[in-house]
This record gives sequence, C-alpha cells and structure tokens, in this order.
Amino acid sequence: MGLDGIIILDNNGRPIIQSGFRSSTTVYPLLHIDAVNNALEKAERPADVDPVLYIPNTTDVSSACCHVQAGDLRFLCPVSGDVDPLLAFAFLQTFIDILREYLGTVSAATLRDNFDIVYQLFEETLDVGGHPLTTYPNALRDIVIPPSLMNKLLSVTGTNFNSTINSGFGAGAAAGPFSSPIPWRKTGVRYNNNEIYFDIVEHLKAIVNKNGVTLSSNVHGKIEANAKLSGTPDCSLSFTNPQVLYDCALHPCIRLLRWNRDKVLSFVPPDGRFTLMDYTYSSQSPNSPLPTSPNVALPFVIKPNIELEDSGGSFDVTLTSRYSTHALENVVAELHLGQGAGGIRCSVSRGSGGGGFINAAESRNSGSSGGSNRASWSFDAQRMILRWEIQIVPPSSSWSLHGSFVTANRAPRPSHAIRVCFDISSHTYSALKVGQLKVTNAKENYKPYKGVRGRSSGEVEWRW
Amino acid sequence: MSIRAPRKGENYELSVDLNSEYREKRKDAIKRVIASMTVGKDVSGLFPDVLKNMQTDDLEQKKLVYLYLMNYAKTQPELVILAVNTFVKDSDDPNPLVRALAIRTMGVLRAEKIIDYLCDPLQKCLRDENPYVRKTAALCVAKLYDLKPELVIDNGFLEQLHEMIADSNPMVVANTVAALTDIHTAATSQSSLSPDDPALFPISASILTKLLIALNECSEWGRVAILNALARYVAKDDKESEHICERVVPQFQHVNGSVVLAAVKVIMIHMRGVRRDDLIKQLVRKMAPPLVTLLSSPPEVQWVALRNINLLLQKRPDILSNEMRVFFCKYNDPLYVKVEKLDIMVRLAGENNVDALLSELKEYASEVDVDFVRKSIKAIGQTAIKIDAAAERCVHVLLELIDTRVSYVVQEAVVVMKDIFRKYPSTYEGIIPTLCANLDELDEPEAKASLIWIIGEYANKIDNADELLGIFVDTFVEESYPVQLQTLTAVVKLFLKKPDSSQGIVQRILNTATKDCDSPDVRDRAYIYWRLLSTDPGAAKAVVLAQRPPISIPRTTVPPALLEELLGEVSSLASVYHKPEETFVGRGRVGADSVVQRKTDADGPSDDRFSAQKALQTVAAGQQAENLLDFDDTPAVEGRPSGLAATEVLSHTPAAANLLAGTSSNPLDDLVSIFGAPAAAPATPATPAGPSAGGGGGPHDVFGGLGGMGMGMGSLGSLGSLGSPAVPGALSSPSPSVVVPPSQQNQQPQDDLLGLF
Repeated sequence: MGLDGIIILDNNGRPIIQSGFRSSTTVYPLLHIDAVNNALEKAERPADVDPVLYIPNTTDVSSACCHVQAGDLRFLCPVSGDVDPLLAFAFLQTFIDILREYLGTVSAATLRDNFDIVYQLFEETLDVGGHPLTTYPNALRDIVIPPSLMNKLLSVTGTNFNSTINSGFGAGAAAGPFSSPIPWRKTGVRYNNNEIYFDIVEHLKAIVNKNGVTLSSNVHGKIEANAKLSGTPDCSLSFTNPQVLYDCALHPCIRLLRWNRDKVLSFVPPDGRFTLMDYTYSSQSPNSPLPTSPNVALPFVIKPNIELEDSGGSFDVTLTSRYSTHALENVVAELHLGQGAGGIRCSVSRGSGGGGFINAAESRNSGSSGGSNRASWSFDAQRMILRWEIQIVPPSSSWSLHGSFVTANRAPRPSHAIRVCFDISSHTYSALKVGQLKVTNAKENYKPYKGVRGRSSGEVEWRW
Repeated sequence: MSIRAPRKGENYELSVDLNSEYREKRKDAIKRVIASMTVGKDVSGLFPDVLKNMQTDDLEQKKLVYLYLMNYAKTQPELVILAVNTFVKDSDDPNPLVRALAIRTMGVLRAEKIIDYLCDPLQKCLRDENPYVRKTAALCVAKLYDLKPELVIDNGFLEQLHEMIADSNPMVVANTVAALTDIHTAATSQSSLSPDDPALFPISASILTKLLIALNECSEWGRVAILNALARYVAKDDKESEHICERVVPQFQHVNGSVVLAAVKVIMIHMRGVRRDDLIKQLVRKMAPPLVTLLSSPPEVQWVALRNINLLLQKRPDILSNEMRVFFCKYNDPLYVKVEKLDIMVRLAGENNVDALLSELKEYASEVDVDFVRKSIKAIGQTAIKIDAAAERCVHVLLELIDTRVSYVVQEAVVVMKDIFRKYPSTYEGIIPTLCANLDELDEPEAKASLIWIIGEYANKIDNADELLGIFVDTFVEESYPVQLQTLTAVVKLFLKKPDSSQGIVQRILNTATKDCDSPDVRDRAYIYWRLLSTDPGAAKAVVLAQRPPISIPRTTVPPALLEELLGEVSSLASVYHKPEETFVGRGRVGADSVVQRKTDADGPSDDRFSAQKALQTVAAGQQAENLLDFDDTPAVEGRPSGLAATEVLSHTPAAANLLAGTSSNPLDDLVSIFGAPAAAPATPATPAGPSAGGGGGPHDVFGGLGGMGMGMGSLGSLGSLGSPAVPGALSSPSPSVVVPPSQQNQQPQDDLLGLF
C-alpha cells in the first residue's frame, strides 16, 4: 500500500535501476514498465500519455503507475491502494532533486556510475511499506555521503577514511544523525565566512490574443535561499511591500504564526540551498478573496504577419521590446509549422531602436538554420518547430524574422500561436523589496554577509 | 556451499577480489557485484564471499552487503541465516545508523527464520534513545505484522506503538501513525474481524490532540500520514469539527502539493460537521488559491489538481467563479491537461464570461489536434445548452466553424447542432440549409445520424427532405446501425408530416430494413413502425412525433451520493478517476479483485454492452407501443414472440423491469439510441456478469445509493459525462437472453405484417 517503489527508465524504455519491490512479486515492476512503454508507443506525442496509468492485474492487486519525464529519463512510481497520485508526483520530484544534488546531472551515464549511491538513496527515502522517509537534503547528507565528498575524503584521509565514517560524517554528525532538534538543519555547522543569499525568482505566464490583448497573465514567484551560517542562526526577513505576495506556500522552517500576523518571515534556515517560499503575485489588497490577475505589462510586443497559401506560407514577425531599462535575454520564439512543413527560407534582422550596433541581415537559401551571432533561427524537422533565438534584446530594440515555408502535398496547418520564452536579470515583475534581514545568534556573534537579487523569466503564448 | 563460481570469468574475478586482503579492493568488488546485479547478471553464486564482508566498520560497505542480501534473500533463504548473528549484533551497535540499518534490513528480508530473531532487537530499538532508530523500528512493526501478526500482538508491540504517538519527536510520531495505519488497513482487509481487534487504530480524542500537535512539526510526508489519519476521525460535535478545520487550514500554505491536497480532504470531511456559515465560507475561500497555484506546476501535477478541482466545483460551484482565465489552454499543454481544463471552463461558464469562453473555444477549434478540436466544439454545444442567453452566439460560432470546411470540424459541429436543436426546438431553422449543404462531407456515423435526425425533425420545413433522405435510403444497407436507425425514424417522420409525397420512400425503407438488414434492432424498429403505420397512423403520430423532454447539461458528472463519497477522498486515486475506490483497487473495502474497469479500457468490451442497451431500449419502446395498440389482438403474433412480444417475458425479471421503467418514460426516443452510441464510450460500469448490464439506459434501483445516473445518461452521454459507476456484486444484471430475439423468429410474422401493410 502506498508508493511501491521507483523505477528509472532510459530513453528507450529500458530499466536502468529500480528499488527493491520487496513486498511485491517480481513481475510487478515489469508490468508497470510494460504498461508505460505500451502507452508511450501508442501515443502520438509522448507528452500526451496520461500521467497516471491504470495497471490491471488478474492475479495480484491492481495498481496505478505515476510517471514523469526528467531529461532523457523517465521515472516510474507504481502505487497500490488508494494513494494520492500527487504524493507520488511530489515524491518523484523530490527524489529527482535529491539525485541532482548528489550526482550533478541526472542521466543514464551518471546513474550507471553511481548505482551504489542510488540504491542507498532508494533505501533512505522510501520505506518498503510505501512511506516516503527522509528527504531533507541536510539530514540525508548525514546518512548517505555524496560521491564528491567521498572522493574528497578519500584523497585527503586515505585509509583513515573508515574511521571517519564510523564516527559520522562532516562536522554536523558528531552527535549522531537525527539528533538535531531541528529536523531540517544539522547541528554544529561552522563557516569561516558567514553568508546568506536570497534570489527572488519570478515567472510570468501569459496568453495574448490575435488583437494583442492579454487574455490571461499570472506571475508565480519563489524565494530561493542559500544559507552558509554557523551555529543555529535565527533569521527574520521583512518586506517593504508584502501586499504583493499572495497565496504563499512556505518552507516548514518558517514560523507560520509570525508570518500570518506580521508578514515577517522568521526562521532557522536549513544549511545550504533551499526554497524559502513560493507565492503568486497579486496587485490586490490582501483582504479581497481572490486575486484577479494583476496587469503585468508584457515586456515585448509581437507583430505577427503570417500569410498562408495553398501549399505553404510566408511570415514576417517583428518583436519589439517594451522595456526601457532592462534587456531581455535568451529570447526564444517558437512556431509550430504543422505536419509536412519544410523548405524553410528565413532571414533574421535587427530593426531600429535601442542602442548598440546593428547586425547585418543575413539570409541563407539552403540549410536548415542561419542567422547572425546575436540572433539566429533553426528548424526542428522532427517536431516541426521553427525556432528564432535572440541572445539579447536591448531595451526598446526591435527584431524581425522574415521568411517562408512550403508544405508537401497538403494545406499548411501551423499552430496559431507563437510561444516566446525569455529571461530578464535583475528584475522582478512584482517589485518585491526586502526591507530588512536580521540574523541573530544566541551563542556566536557574527555579522553575516547578506545579498538579495531579483531574476525573472517568462513564457508567453502570442496568438495570431 | 554447493554453488561455486567457475575458476574463470567475471564472477571468479569478483570472488577473488571479495576475498582480497585489502579493504579498498574488497569494497570496490562489492560495488561491482551490486552493479552486475543491477544490470541483471546472476551474481548469486558469490553469496558466501559477499557475506564475509558483512562485518565491517565501514558503514557504506555494510549497506551494500545488506543490499545484496536483501536482493537474494528470496532465492537463497538458507544462506541468509548465516547473517543473523551479525544482524543481531549490529542492532546493538553504538552507531545509531547501524542499529537502524540492521532493524530495517531484518524487517525487509521476509525470511521466516530471521523473523524469530527479530523480536528482541525490535523491542530494544522501539525504546532507543535515537529518534531515527525509533522511527525505523516503528515502521518495522508494520512489516512484522504483515508477515506474522501474532508475533506483534504477543510481544506487545502494538501497545508500544500507541505509546509512541506521544513521542517527543514529531518524525517518530508521524512514522508511528503510518505504521499503525498500515496495520489497521491490513487488519480491516481480513474477512473475520472483531470490532475490538487490537490491530485496529481508531482515532480517539486524545490521539487527535497529539496528532494536531505533531502536524505542524514534522516533515511533509509525515504531515500527509497524519492528515490521512485525521480524515478518519469522527468528530463529536460541531465545535470539534471547527477546531480540526481551524488547525488544519494552515497546511494550505505548505509548499508540497500533496500536503495541500491531503489538507483539502480533511477540511472537506470535517466541514460537513461545521455549522457556522461564516467559517464554511472562509474555508471554501481559502481552499481555492492553493489549488489554482498547483496549475503552475508540471503537467502531471496540474492534471491531478484539475481532476480534484473538477470534483470540488461540482459540490461548490462558487469557489472559482471569477477564475476562468486561469484555465485557458495553451497550445503546448498536453492533451490530458487541455481536456480537463475545457471541462472546468464549461463548468465555470456564466453569462458574464461566456464571450471570453466562446472566443477561446473558437480558437481551440482551429488547432491541429483532432481530438482536442472535437472536444472544443462539443464544449461550444454544452455552453449553448447551459446558458440560454448565449445559445445564439454559440450557433454563430458553430456556423463559422462549418464555414472552414475542415471535415472533422464540420462533422462535430453538426453533431453539436443536433443537441442545440433538441434544446431549442424551432429556433434555428434558418441554418438548416447550411447544414444540409454539407451533407456530402459527412462520413462519420454520428454526424450522419445527427443530420438525418435534424432532417426528419424538420421534414415539413425542408422542401427536398425526401430527396435528401433518399440518398441515405439508397445506401441504407451499407450504413452503420445508428445511421440506419436514424434514417428509418426520419423517413417515418417525413411520411407522417408529408404523407402524400413520401409514400414510396417509406415503403422502400421499411422493406429494406425488414428484409435486408442484419441488425435485429433495426429490423424490430422497422416492424414496429410498420405496424403502427398500418393500424393507426394517428397513434403513430402521437408516438413518433411526440414532444421530447428537454435536455440540459448535468451540473455534476457523478451522481450526488457518489460525489459526497468522492469528496471525502479528495487527494486519492478515487478522486482522480471520479470513481469509488473499490471499482479500481482490488484490495480494500469490498475486496473485489475481479472488478477491474477503467475508462480507457472500456473501448473494447463496451460494444456488446451498447448493442445490448440499444436492444433493450428498442424493446422498451415497443412496450410503450403495446399500450397504444392493444397488440395482443392482432393475429400476426400467434404465439411467436417477435420483438414486441418478448417484452412481456422481459417484464417478469425484476432487473429488466427496472430497465424498462427507466426508459419507457421516453417513448421511442430515437435520440437516446444515437446518444447512447459511441459517444458514451467512456462510461464504464463494472460488470462482473458480462456484457449485459446497461450503462446508458441506467437501472436506477440496481445502482443503489451510488447510482442515479439513470435516465439522463442516455441523452447526456455525448455531453461528455465520465461514466456511471457500479457496485460490483450488487448488480443483478438482466440475463443476456432477454435482449435479442433470435432472428429466425422474425420470418413468419414478417409475412403477416407485409400483408397487413
């Protein structure tokens, strides 16, 4: 009952490694692997496969398989009994994050190199009875040593390594694991330079209709923290404009009462990186029941001019930055051209406006990509997607993509939307401002270095 | 040690290294053994060599050896015994990690002989000073119960677990609750269970207090376990319900979505006991935002959230009334997310936002994905039926879509138009010519049947109705059954409305349908019409052209009683499938492993079911005709049961009688049979007895408290209802024999009937 285990498949659907499945039959994981592979085979787009597959079983208990894609890998979590599928998904996500922290990149190769680590993580994070166990990275590092740390220990201490292990790892485990009164923080942490950083990261999602009117837009944000503080520091973080924060989801370290009363984040942080809080940006007063989407001005305007003919089409798309101070970075615009599209001819150019030099327009008659060094285009013939990339869009500048395509023996059916993704550094939509950060520490007296940064990204669907 | 590796090859090298005098080499060899095991090589022959490395100071090496042991314990139980001493010794190790590891591994090995050595160390570890060891031991008790319940009871482990609910460490509390819940579940699934079985874990008021305290302290997974236990608590009075709700509400602010959903579940359950309206309002208001926030998560999580939102909206339509925009689809959303969003958007539609909705739906109808386009067009139809004031705008959008002349768009739009004609009779006759102009483009049965229905319904307003229907009469035999049934009915309608000009065509179709058609349903219906027309055209008119009951869009896709049950299971598979738990997990309250059905599996076996259902409806329709015609007097039947006479036999079986009662209020309603056809395919009643149970026509009584889909289902099937649940075992289905009259029986009466005409 519960989460029965984890299976990790490579991009061909073959299992790389799986947890023990000790309370079920040996065919049980195989049934799930087959079911997922069959479903993937049948689906036109792998992304369209239902995330929860029902696995009928004539001899044993029927179950369901929750699965997610992560990079090249697919993670399966078979569940039996009436379990919340969200529990499975939340656990898989947590597990993938843990793997990332341990292995750096999570890929078939890194998994194969670290079977021993992955098995240990299986054992520590998921009980055979189906209950997730320890997933706080701080606590986990005490009981499963990350490979990098182990290598370091090996090289430094040589054969004395084993005695180190037996007395526990790192500085924190001196008093034994899980002896910390604060489950998310290990005891006895010590740094020479005490620092704490906060990143305010906001993501905009919006849909714009063909008249250029924003249909829906919302901004979700989170505060990511990286704490390198000695001892048991007590932080309190306040904002000058907490009213922009709506529907906050808080890290368990935050004292809820204090937040609900004073809108001050008061907490003893875990050691290292963690997400302090998630929120939705709302421009409304906190008393109103639901936020209407705040009118976030989109950072750019697109003038799509796309003409379709009997067997092809031409397009002339202009993107103009609306920002006068911030540059848009890593702008990627994607247009799905529909089945049978090909014969792309394109040119990208930089229009007027903004500072900086103007790149010469460049066009190619053959080949599937081209462009200047700051803007380029390419065509993904497998997914039928035309990609237009601009590394940096300076304030108020304007860019254009001009070209045509043909479709083989049928009328063109491109998607009627251009999807644009972008990043903006040192900027937040909500203009959330940190008022004060106090770090108090009963035992030790140090003045930590404190830093706050803002960063934004966005994904806009612009219909035409 | 009978099994030894041969003196060469990979395993031999490993075996040498495992016995090396250097620890690093040995450890490396163990890692290689584990890697071989993972890629599926047989390294069981190395068992004794690996075992030698078990006694070590190196915790990591110990873990790996244990891992190997666990993997091969099933196949080589006799060897595992060799490890027992080390396990017992390790459970006394000064390092708490080693103690916990030993206990955990012993619990997992599932070997009878190990179990006997487990109890003493477990006893100690349950009282260990280290919380990590205590919580590991708590979970181990649940595993022991699974293998040998009597050991758990005899050793007093249950009492010890109950004491541990008051542990100072919240993590221990959470794991203890999880262990007790597991034991509770295992115990309740047994058949013979006395209410005071010690294994049961009733949540008492004092436990409640402890759980509420631990709730805010422990990890996210611990919170889920505790919240699930809280959901089982039965509150004494409304004060206590209020107290629980107030204490649980802060969990909405947790980052982990599964905690949020588990909290929603507890609130939904305990809110039933709350009497203060202001508190209920406040709770409902607080519930919406975290659910909406889940929509910014990856698509899988969105989907689970959407399914749950869909359920909550059916109970409390007001929670998201201003939030329709959040559910607008993006073209790169996965299909399963889009479909669910669509459903919710229609649910949220009202006069104030219908314009925004329609322009979205029109946008979706121009997308590439055929399935999604069809669903969007269906949604336009649903909107038209739901909001009277918007019907005209919807029709307008549909006409624009028909103008695109994309085949599947036109076909789906025609199907939807039929529903609109049904809901608003005689309002949009002006567009009939446009629809008829697309006659040639239709190649799907449902679309054809829909257009034919429209032509038949408005035969008197369409000048060339006989010509149009003539096209279908010509190809009658090649058409699918739904189209045949519709053509038959439409021609009869035409005849009743314009008797002078259509005598020929009606004769032709009745002839073809009774002689050349191999579907008993079509034949039987033809006979009925034939007899009606020949004996009393007035009665025929009264039946065929009867006023049809209006249709409406269901506010809920699941029956109210089931909805109430599902709301108690928010954050579970049941809430995602919108079906009660026992229909899809074998284990559990009813333990009906055999009843395994799911929406996507339904495509195959459902055909039989639907033909059965159709036949029953035809029969039911026949019974109605009987009253009008005093059928027994006609000489034609002479002891040979034709389709009609068979109804008499039918009405003796109670289940069939229910079916008849369910359908007969709607005489000869041909629509029911169109609607009941493929569109209702997602309906999946679990039918242990085979294909005979009706899904659409719905036996009210048989479904008991859970049923109630009943009559409406037939006509609403095409409006995307999810499915009618069935209680396994409780369903006494009508036996298949009553459904289809054997074909040869029709030969004789046929001649008589022909003579009559």
